[in-house]
Amino acid sequence: MNSNEFLSLMKSHGATVYPATAARDITLANNALQTRRCAMFPAIFTDLYKSASAINLGNGYIFGPVECVRGTRFPIPSVVEINLEMVGNNALHGKTIFGRNDLFWFAFDAFGTFYMLDNLNLRILRKYDDPYRAMSDCLIAGKF
Amino acid sequence: MQMNESVAEKRIADLGMDDLPLVQIRPVSQPVPSDWFRKYHDLVHEFVQSLTDSIQELAFMNLPQDDFMDLIMGRRMPENLSVRFRTPLVWGGKLELDNLFMCMTFPHSHNMDRFIIEQSGNDAIWMPNPAKKIYLPAHMMNGGDGGNATSDRLSQIAAQIAASRGME
Repeated sequence: MNSNEFLSLMKSHGATVYPATAARDITLANNALQTRRCAMFPAIFTDLYKSASAINLGNGYIFGPVECVRGTRFPIPSVVEINLEMVGNNALHGKTIFGRNDLFWFAFDAFGTFYMLDNLNLRILRKYDDPYRAMSDCLIAGKF
Repeated sequence: MQMNESVAEKRIADLGMDDLPLVQIRPVSQPVPSDWFRKYHDLVHEFVQSLTDSIQELAFMNLPQDDFMDLIMGRRMPENLSVRFRTPLVWGGKLELDNLFMCMTFPHSHNMDRFIIEQSGNDAIWMPNPAKKIYLPAHMMNGGDGGNATSDRLSQIAAQIAASRGME
């Protein structure tokens, strides 16, 4: 699977895909993550963000490098904003949160491992080698 | 660090929900049935369809009429709405309508997650426990901008839906 196939699959489930992110914004977000000792975006995310920013399906969200404005509704926060709020939490050491739904949070680390985390205490519930599987679980579990 | 009531109330106020009632629970891990996710999914649909009795709160959410109808009819969850457990399943909460409430995903549900995560490892956890089925901070209960999605109009629609389901 590649990022375009993933986006097509999520759209077929009814996901809203927000417009692509400028390369400069991806770089700035990556730098911001690095300075806060979070994991930087894996290549697969950099590729995805060239075609999309945030993705929303029901209560499932993949956060983008920049905040996504959506009319009168509260904006979807950026990856940087989400992780900045959590700096200092030991359970997230070296990880970057990239998504959430009403039951779980999702993160990756610098070694290319993706995680499903309990939204009550950030305990690791599942590890993924396949990032598309992690992103799919994040969004599909949020589908109404 | 264990929070006492005043610290918990201050923290939840800092997160923008100063009128959110809190209840303290002692988290004890409980087994969860293997088919919990399917049951949870069905329960959320049932919960959403039960919101015909919460029209005033829904009206203050200023949902467009299409979103309101889709929500009440159980067809679709409008963007930025979340359904949360009052007591999580893994801490002994039941898969029952009374154990759920609805709120906005951003900023409220996300900040409630942060509030709970900040207490992880504590013997007792302060949990959000709104009085009604829908939580909306008082400062947002300032009325809509009129048009088709006013409280009166939505009340009429909800009454018609309730009547059609024999719920009156």
